[in-house]
Amino acid sequence: MELISSQAPGLENDHVIRWKQSGRSIVGYTCVATPTEIIEAGGLLPYRIRALGNGNTEIADAHLSRFNCSFCRSCLQLGLDGSYDFLDGIIETNGCDHLRGMIENWVYQRRPRFFHYLKVPHLGDSASIEYFVEEIKIYKKAIEEFVGRSISDQQIWEQIGRQDRISDKIRTIYRIREGEKPSITGAETLALFLLATAMPANDAENTLQRAIDDCKDRALDGYKARLLLGGSATDEVDFVAMIERLGGLVVTDTLCYGARAFRPRLLEGKRTDPYLTLANGYLENLLCPRMIDGFRSRLSFLLDAIERAAVDGVVLVHNKFCDLHGIDNVQLRLALERESIPVLQIEKEYGARADIGRLKTRIQAFLERIG
Amino acid sequence: MHRISVLLGLVDIFPESMVGPVGSLLTYSRLLPADIQAGFQGLFVPRAGKASALFIKMIARWILQAKRASRNGKKVILVPFNFPVELIHAFDTAVPLTSEVLSTVGVIALRGQGERYWDMAMALGLPDHICSANAVELGSMLGSEDFQPQAIISSAAGGCDANAKLHEFVANYLEIPLVILPKPPDDSGRGRAQYGIYMRNLVSRLEDLLGEKLKEDRLRAVMEKANRCTELYHDLMDLRKAVPCPVPNIFSLFTYATRLSAWGTEDAITTLRSMVEVSKERLAKKAYPAEKEIARCIWVYTSYYYDLAGYFNWMEERGYSHLGDALMFCFPQLIDTSSMASMLEGYSDAAWGMPMTRQMGAESMSRAWIEDIVWAARELKADCAIFCGHHSCKQTWSVVSILRRELLKQMGIPLLVLQGDSWIKRMTPMSTIQQEIDEFIKNVVASKSAPRRKLKKGRRKQLDKPIAS
Repeated sequence: MELISSQAPGLENDHVIRWKQSGRSIVGYTCVATPTEIIEAGGLLPYRIRALGNGNTEIADAHLSRFNCSFCRSCLQLGLDGSYDFLDGIIETNGCDHLRGMIENWVYQRRPRFFHYLKVPHLGDSASIEYFVEEIKIYKKAIEEFVGRSISDQQIWEQIGRQDRISDKIRTIYRIREGEKPSITGAETLALFLLATAMPANDAENTLQRAIDDCKDRALDGYKARLLLGGSATDEVDFVAMIERLGGLVVTDTLCYGARAFRPRLLEGKRTDPYLTLANGYLENLLCPRMIDGFRSRLSFLLDAIERAAVDGVVLVHNKFCDLHGIDNVQLRLALERESIPVLQIEKEYGARADIGRLKTRIQAFLERIG
Repeated sequence: MHRISVLLGLVDIFPESMVGPVGSLLTYSRLLPADIQAGFQGLFVPRAGKASALFIKMIARWILQAKRASRNGKKVILVPFNFPVELIHAFDTAVPLTSEVLSTVGVIALRGQGERYWDMAMALGLPDHICSANAVELGSMLGSEDFQPQAIISSAAGGCDANAKLHEFVANYLEIPLVILPKPPDDSGRGRAQYGIYMRNLVSRLEDLLGEKLKEDRLRAVMEKANRCTELYHDLMDLRKAVPCPVPNIFSLFTYATRLSAWGTEDAITTLRSMVEVSKERLAKKAYPAEKEIARCIWVYTSYYYDLAGYFNWMEERGYSHLGDALMFCFPQLIDTSSMASMLEGYSDAAWGMPMTRQMGAESMSRAWIEDIVWAARELKADCAIFCGHHSCKQTWSVVSILRRELLKQMGIPLLVLQGDSWIKRMTPMSTIQQEIDEFIKNVVASKSAPRRKLKKGRRKQLDKPIAS
């Protein structure tokens, strides 16, 4: 856990530095719908863009606006102030309007060496899957052109297998935190997750295994309530730590920097076409409110997690101006209230320390209500 | 919204020759509350001539159709503004109700201007940064029995998250079917082909919901009328090119409200024809509301609708022509009506080119938007551009800085960025908006007599290089 605490808070961790020193390239991506297996198969390091609670957005504000979500403004700030200069390329996906605007401004201003736009359908029907299969092939071709060599199906299968192993380990960590006696906090899990998406897959496997081993000798106690945290893109380890300091142990989540980001094993099925396997695996398990026909799946994912982790209450959070989660959280809250599950819905600014007093009061009041 | 249907019921009963005089009388009699009076003054501005009465009768009939739908054995299909209504008009058993048009009518004609309905939507706990055009309509569904849809079409996925999510929310909340037409943000040709697949799926889904097959003859009749609308639309666009602009500012709203509600109907043809005739007469007389045309303004996204007089009338009376906004730039094309397949293909093209879908649903939001605005500014000889900054339009807000830069680089015209809600006056009062427009035009936009703005070499060089952080 010490390694996680030392490495997670920085954008350019030791793995990134070593990777660059060996002359290899790094490609940034923002959205969980990006099949990173293709990037890895191309010999590149996929790096999930994050802002790590950075609250300074003054350069980004000259390009985006105050009506754009502060997480995206924060990421853009880091893109424009040079903090992300270690990235050699960027993959855009149509995750949400703010993300699209963030990447458009980033690319317009900085012109990265490599840029590709992977279009992800908003539906999960068969016509959309077919379209996505072709999209993944085009995306693979773009990576091939960038690295100057072809990528074989076998290499993609290998990466699919590797991601399966990583997902298995993350699932093990979720089982540990969701169990009766959790031995890893929500803040540690988020930090671990962030680290694992900013290092080579091999290292991620080892790091996750070490974290699992560390959990064996630990026990957590003194918490008032077990919580589920759901909602917007939240990579704010400090925010989760604050909830936990107040007595609410975050034993599970439905975050896209968390439970929504690891998929079921894809090698289990028949080995036919790796592109179809990826298209199905990513699109069918994309539990993001951007999928306009997927409310029932998202609700059932949430209810399953609530039951599995035996939570006392649910905290649904969204960044100000996030339409997708802002509206989805209302639908989810209404559904949870119908089931008599205690729920707290919070709108907040990303990384805004000034807001911390209000958030503490609301969380304390919620914990008193359910604790 | 019950109050609206009563009002529109009266409009429907009165003959066209009476609607104009009665409207004008009401406008200037001070019988109406101030907020409604501002709407009426905009609608019945004398220079709009007979077009006002025809437009209002068209809207009245369109809304009353929805109100009386169940009585007539029809289903109300709620659609967003970026879904072309002519497909719904082609079904015997369905009537379209466009959320944004209904909300705009409420904002213009209701005392309190729809804010009561906004508050009802907010009471559910919805965030205050969602689109008021949709929230007012949602509130009206919650607070009135008049307009209860039996299904909702969402064509916003890919073009606007706020709209798409609210459509999903309304469908879940009212427990009605949601029919989705997503826009792949793909300009390669694959995206358009995929959109065609989604469109065919949508037609099948509608047929199932309505229990009615789309008939070729009926579709052809609607599409032929839509083609006539297209011709008249382009006539109006041509008239807007004249200097000074002979097309009254309020016709921007009339044009796209017609596109978004009644396109493909006889009412739409009549209304558009009257707008063309009025504009031609004004062109012949060289009529213009002010002493001279000082500025020709392109509005790059939406306009403001909560004070029509304070916005459209005020601008042209000061010599500021409203050449249209992005809702008008839907670039309709004539549809080949020779077969069912050609009509559906042409219709898919029309849907692909609808406002917002066309710009914000494109592969690059900024590039598509810039292309359209630069084209329109060039064609219509605009000397300035204004972004109304409707706070819910996060996609436009996220790339407006690129648009501003490119407009200056490619056209040498400045862009004013305002902040306000297009439908709700609480955010920015009209007086503030007027003041900002005034200052911008007086201080930034070159006068007509001055030479066209040219960029100095140094500035051009600065704009051409990427901004260093």
